Amino acid sequence: MGRFILRRVVQAVLVILAATLLIFLATFAIGDPFASSGEKAVPPDIAAANRAKFGLDKPLPLQYVIYLGNMVRGDFGIDFEQHRPVAQMLEAAIPNTVRLALVAIVIDILIGVVAGVIAAVKRYSFWDVLVTVIATLAIGIPVFVIGVVLVANVAGWGPFPSVPRSFTVQVPWYQEVLLPAFTLAIIDAAFIARLMRGSMLEVLRADYIRTARAKGLSERTVIGKHAMRNSLIPVVTYVGVSLGVLFGGAIITETIFQYNGVGYLLSTAIVKSNAPVIIAVVIFSVVAYVVLSTIVDILYAFLDPRIRLN
Amino acid sequence: MTTPTSAGGPPVDAEAGAGVLLPGADSATSGAAVPIGARGSGQLADVWRRFRRNRLAMVGLAIVTVLILLAIIGPYVTPYNAFEQNLANTLKPPSAEHWFGTDVLGRDLFSGIIYGCRLAITVGLLTVAFSLLIGITLGAVAGFKGGAWDGVVARFIDVFLAFPPLVGAIVIVRAVGGGVTPVIVALVVLGWMTTARLTRGQVLALREAEYVEAARSIGAGNRRIVLRHILPNAIAPVLVYSFTSIGVVVVAMASLSYLGIGVPPDVPEWGRLISQATPFLRVPGMTYLWLAPALAIAITTLGFAFVADGMRDSLDPKLRGGN
Repeated sequence: MGRFILRRVVQAVLVILAATLLIFLATFAIGDPFASSGEKAVPPDIAAANRAKFGLDKPLPLQYVIYLGNMVRGDFGIDFEQHRPVAQMLEAAIPNTVRLALVAIVIDILIGVVAGVIAAVKRYSFWDVLVTVIATLAIGIPVFVIGVVLVANVAGWGPFPSVPRSFTVQVPWYQEVLLPAFTLAIIDAAFIARLMRGSMLEVLRADYIRTARAKGLSERTVIGKHAMRNSLIPVVTYVGVSLGVLFGGAIITETIFQYNGVGYLLSTAIVKSNAPVIIAVVIFSVVAYVVLSTIVDILYAFLDPRIRLN
Repeated sequence: MTTPTSAGGPPVDAEAGAGVLLPGADSATSGAAVPIGARGSGQLADVWRRFRRNRLAMVGLAIVTVLILLAIIGPYVTPYNAFEQNLANTLKPPSAEHWFGTDVLGRDLFSGIIYGCRLAITVGLLTVAFSLLIGITLGAVAGFKGGAWDGVVARFIDVFLAFPPLVGAIVIVRAVGGGVTPVIVALVVLGWMTTARLTRGQVLALREAEYVEAARSIGAGNRRIVLRHILPNAIAPVLVYSFTSIGVVVVAMASLSYLGIGVPPDVPEWGRLISQATPFLRVPGMTYLWLAPALAIAITTLGFAFVADGMRDSLDPKLRGGN
C-alpha cells in the first residue's frame, strides 16, 4: 500500500509539473502583452520597463523556473491590470469556490442517491421511468442553458438574490450560493442517480443480499445497510472526481451568476488577457483536480485491494 | 491518472463479432432507414431491430438526421443572410417576417440558428473524427506494442486528462489564435484521451485472442493483424463513445463562445447568441433572444446522446440488464 501511494503521489507531481509547463508555454505563446496594439501606442522604453517589471525580459525557461520557485513560496506575481498580488486574488476567490462546490456536492448526493435507490428498488415502476427520463434530459442539457434559464426565471424570487454581490450589494453567502450550486448539482445528480441505479441493481442480484433476505432481515435493513454500502462505491469515486473539477472553479456557472469564485476570476482575466491571473488560476485548477483524483485513487485502492495489486 | 471510473470501458464481447456490427452502427448514424438485414447479416438485422424498438433512440435518430440535413442545406433555405445587420430593426420579437425575432444587431435569429447548426455539426463531426484518428492510433500502438510504448502513451493521457477540460480548451484556443480552427484544435487536443484509452483496453484484450494467434501463425504481419483483425473488432465501443461526444463538443464550443473565446464575435454561433442575450435575461418578453439557441443546443446534445445510448443498448443487449 505504501508503495502504491508513493507511486501515485510521484505521478501526480509529474503531471502537475507537465501541466504547468504547458500552460506557461501556451500563455506566453499569445505574444507580448506590452507591445503596441491598434490605437494603443506604447513607447518602447515604457514597454521595456513593463517587461522588466513583470520579469518578461528574461528567457522563457528561466522565467518558468523563477515562476515555479515563487509559486512554491506562495507568490504568484502581480496582475497586469491593477498590479495586485495574484495570490491575494486567489485567496479571496478560493473560499467562495469551495463553498459552492461543497453545497453543490451535498445537493447532488442527496438527490442523486435517493433517486437512484428508488429507481433501482422500484424497478420499471413509474418512479423508475421518471428518474431515468429526467436523468437523461439533465445530462443532455448543457450547464449554461440551465444557468441562463434560472437567471431569467428564478433569480430575484424568494431567497434568491436578483443582483450579484458587489461593493454596494450585500448578500449573505448562503443565499448567493443557492442558485449556482443548484445549477451545478443538476447534472451531477443525474449522473449519480444513473450510477446508483445501475450499481444497486447489480448488488441486489448478489448472493449475500439473498442471504440477508433469507435470514429474515427487514427489507429496510437489506436495502439500507447491505445493498447501499456496496453500491455506493462507484458513487464515491464519481463524487471525488467531480469535487476535483468543482474546486478548480466552475467557470461557466460562476460567470453566469457573476459569483466571485475562481472560475469567474478566470473568465474575467481571459477577457482582459491578464496572463498572470490566467496562469495562476489554471495551475490552481489543475492542482485541485489532480490532488483530489489522486486521493480518490488511493481511497479506492484502499477499498478494493485488486487495484493496488495490479 | 487512472480514475477508477474510467478503468474499464464498456465491455464488448469479441465473439459477438462487434466488427461485423459496425456497418449497422454507421447506417444508423447517417439515418438511412434501409433494412440492414438485406446485407445478409443476421446480427446486423438484430442490432437494427433492437435499435428500432428503442423509442428514445429513434427520436434521437430523427433529430440527428434533421440536424445534419439542416447543416447541409441550411444556407440555401435561410430567409435572410445570417450575418446581415439591420440596425433599424433590432430586438424585434418573433413575427411572420422574422420567425425567431431579431437580435441586438438586427440580424434574423432564425437564419442565425440555422447557420449555427451548420457550424455546430461541422465542428462536432470534424473534432470527433480527428480525436478518433489520434485516439485509435495511439491506443492501438499502446495496446499492441505494450512496454515502453504503452508507458509513454499512458503518461500523455494522464497529462492531458489532468486539465479541467474547459480551462484547458481556453488556454489552447488563446495560444493558437481566434477563429473556428483553433477551437477544433483545442477540442481535439483535449478530446482524444478517452478514445485512446478505450481502444487500448480493447486491443490489449484482443491481442491474445485465438484468431489473432491464428492470423499470426499463417504469417500475417503486425500491421495487417492490427488493421484487419484487431481494430475492426475493437472499435464498436469506441465509436459509441465518440457519438456521445459529438454532443459534448457542441456544448464545449458553445461554452467557449459564451465566454467570448474562439468563434469570431460576428458569427451567429449558438453560445454566442446566448451570451449576447445575457443583458436582457431578466427583461420580460425578451425570452425569444436566448430561448431558440438554448433549445437548439439542448436538442442537439440530447439527439446525439439518445442515438449513442440506443447504439450501446442494441450492440450489447446484456448491458440493458432486462429480464
